Amino acid sequence: MMRFVLSMLVALLLGPVAALAQDQEPLHITITDGVIEPLPFAIAGFIPETGDAGAMAGQITQVISSDLTGTGLFREIPSSAYIQNIASFDTPVKYSDWQAINAQALVVGSVAMQGGKVVVKFRLFDVFSGQQMGDGQQLAASPASWRRLAHKVADVIYSRITGEGPYFDSRVVFVSESGPKDARQKRLAVMDYDGANVTYLTDASTIVLAPRFSRDGTKVLYTTFETGFPRIKMLDVATASARLLPEVPGTMTFAPRFSPDGTKIVYSLEQNGNTDLWMMDVASGQTQRLTTSPSIETSPSFSPDGSRIVFESDRSGTQQLYIMSVQGGEATRISFGDGRYSTPVWSPRGDMIAFTKQNQGRFHIGVMRTDGSEERLLTSSFLDEGPTWSPNGRVIMFTRETPGAEGQASLYSVDISGRNLKKVPTPGPASDPAWSPLLP
Amino acid sequence: MNRADKIGYGVSGVLHVGAILWIVTGGQWFFPKKSEPVVISQVAVMSEQDFNALMASAPKDAPQPSPEPVAPTAPAAPPETPAPEAPAPETQATPEPKPQDLPDPAPEPDTQPDVAALQLPPAPAEVTEVPPQMLPPVEQPSETVTPEISAKPKPKPAPRVAPTPAPEPPPEAKISEQAQPQETPDETAPADKVVEQPKDAAAPPEATTEIVTEASETVDKQESSAPLSSPRPSGKPKPPAPKPTETAAAATPAAPKTDAPAKPVDTASVNDALAAALGGTGTGGTGNAPVGPPITAGEKDALIVDVKRCWNVGALSSDALRTTVTLSVDMQPDGHPIISSIKLVGSSGGSGAAVNQAFEAGKRAIVRCGSDGFPLPPEKYARWKTIEIDFNPEKMRMK
Repeated sequence: MMRFVLSMLVALLLGPVAALAQDQEPLHITITDGVIEPLPFAIAGFIPETGDAGAMAGQITQVISSDLTGTGLFREIPSSAYIQNIASFDTPVKYSDWQAINAQALVVGSVAMQGGKVVVKFRLFDVFSGQQMGDGQQLAASPASWRRLAHKVADVIYSRITGEGPYFDSRVVFVSESGPKDARQKRLAVMDYDGANVTYLTDASTIVLAPRFSRDGTKVLYTTFETGFPRIKMLDVATASARLLPEVPGTMTFAPRFSPDGTKIVYSLEQNGNTDLWMMDVASGQTQRLTTSPSIETSPSFSPDGSRIVFESDRSGTQQLYIMSVQGGEATRISFGDGRYSTPVWSPRGDMIAFTKQNQGRFHIGVMRTDGSEERLLTSSFLDEGPTWSPNGRVIMFTRETPGAEGQASLYSVDISGRNLKKVPTPGPASDPAWSPLLP
Repeated sequence: MNRADKIGYGVSGVLHVGAILWIVTGGQWFFPKKSEPVVISQVAVMSEQDFNALMASAPKDAPQPSPEPVAPTAPAAPPETPAPEAPAPETQATPEPKPQDLPDPAPEPDTQPDVAALQLPPAPAEVTEVPPQMLPPVEQPSETVTPEISAKPKPKPAPRVAPTPAPEPPPEAKISEQAQPQETPDETAPADKVVEQPKDAAAPPEATTEIVTEASETVDKQESSAPLSSPRPSGKPKPPAPKPTETAAAATPAAPKTDAPAKPVDTASVNDALAAALGGTGTGGTGNAPVGPPITAGEKDALIVDVKRCWNVGALSSDALRTTVTLSVDMQPDGHPIISSIKLVGSSGGSGAAVNQAFEAGKRAIVRCGSDGFPLPPEKYARWKTIEIDFNPEKMRMK
């Protein structure tokens, strides 16, 4: 009885206090879903500050716009809708004019030719907050590198708005194909990530496959059939000179990939019908066998820290993905879904693994966590294979081939969200893309 | 009590005391022995026919047991997860291929491709070109124009929906139980008190597209001039002023209602009454701002819907999509956010850069959709004077 009376007294005393406190608390709401749509932005034109920079200013503006809109994350507002005329780089921004056309970001820039170099200045504004995003920046380069200059500017804008790492200033090495399917000619080529500036690295005298960039982008490993059997060759991108890696006679080597520090190469070696993973020290040529299974192990790929390797193996009866230490040893299977898994590639961010999946007559490009969880299929077609990651781990490029005798291979890219699937322009049929790291 | 009874009581008492002592202390000397654990063995029952068949199939002359009975004890490895063999060390002689024993480890001479067929010379040179040089940041612009976010123009108040008001229905006639003599107007009363003043010619009331409730009208007045706090009115209203004459008072009820002076609406009293009816806390004459009734779930939902339509996470990084941020914003009484008051009050699940990206996205949502004013009940302004919003992209993550 006494406790009841005390409780009532406490309630009577504290009740008004609690009610008053509740009144003074702010209104609290939780938003758990919003909208996913491209962010509208405006480029108020890169203004030529010298007489000879007019044409280049227009080209740079076009490349920056193309880079940003090509991600699928941004939408450019046409210049015909602009209200304010930005006449010079230092023209004060009238935010209300840009808010009126719903521009959420505004880019203002200028181009000048100074001392034989192109100098680009730019500023990025958050229109609705009414403030500049970060400092204004200026870059300089030779006129021949104006596209890289534009990619650099687009990279800064992209990173400031999205928080992702940059990737526009990068290149892609791939296999350029020509001729019919039964007599196809293949040669290595390299291009900007957006398909511009294609340069061929080898001739069409022999078949080449699966090129892979080194982490610094200066070398390319690939598989060649110039000896009649698959062998690994290393090409210096700057000089276009290549050399065969040492191997045991009577064996076949293929599917090479550099370690993150570039000092080692992991690859597949076939002998007497058995294929295992081996690792070679680039400087000394010393080799180490990593697997001894009677099954086929291939398509190895290093984790970004170089401590583990993901690869495909049919040791369970079907092609599945496994992870093991870089020293070899017991491997852990990570793929357990229906179908067959192949060509795994570790993300540069280290959190995901991209792969090819074949199931019920369809090919898919997918991603999963490094423990095999959260598997997501991003594409589906007659033949999709060979994924490669962009330097920031946000975009995947791969090969898509159409069916039939006249079927052709093309390069496609897709955001890891599964959106923005698009074809990468190439001069002709293309396959086996490998993304370079971000250029210096 | 005779002697026999004494003996009987004595014996009985000794025995009872002994029994009690044995019950209390006997357990210390007579612990129950723990039973030996029962060992249970798995046995298989085999029929006589099976036993005979097994004996018949066993090799009788073989000195060592047949491997077949032993085989079941070794479980076969599951086909899906075979234990991989340990990799052979470099010095082990088992593997057939011995790349480390290459007769000539020197790399083979370069096999240069046919230079004539190449189209490459210029391009590699471009790859090795000096990369673009990052120069010092550009100077800040001389001056930027401050944001010119003009307040949303308020529509001209138009209290009527239809341009011509509907005719007032005639007052209901009440039949009095007692007959009353007809009153004659007082001739001495001033005519101007009875006769309606002619009104100036004016345009008809302006129509509006929506019905304005009385509550909103009252609030609009409050927005414009009324103080936010008001003491509770005095408990007892003052008696009405004496009517000038009975004849005039008798004539007044017959006048149309529009001619009578409008009685001012006591908003505070209404709010207090509503709060009391809904269980809220009224001001009670303390001088605090009237909080009004609590924000209803529907009003909260309306605010959520209004904010989330401007929360665009399409351009957020995957790291930012794993970050929940809580933003605080102070509000104006007209439902517009005070942009300079938007601040981050909490975050979870992301790095510093991701938190910043998520904060900017949330801030853009508040600024964009707040430019039109949020749909909040003005009479409850004290309830939403400050709003905290959790932006949790849990449902927007890549799955």
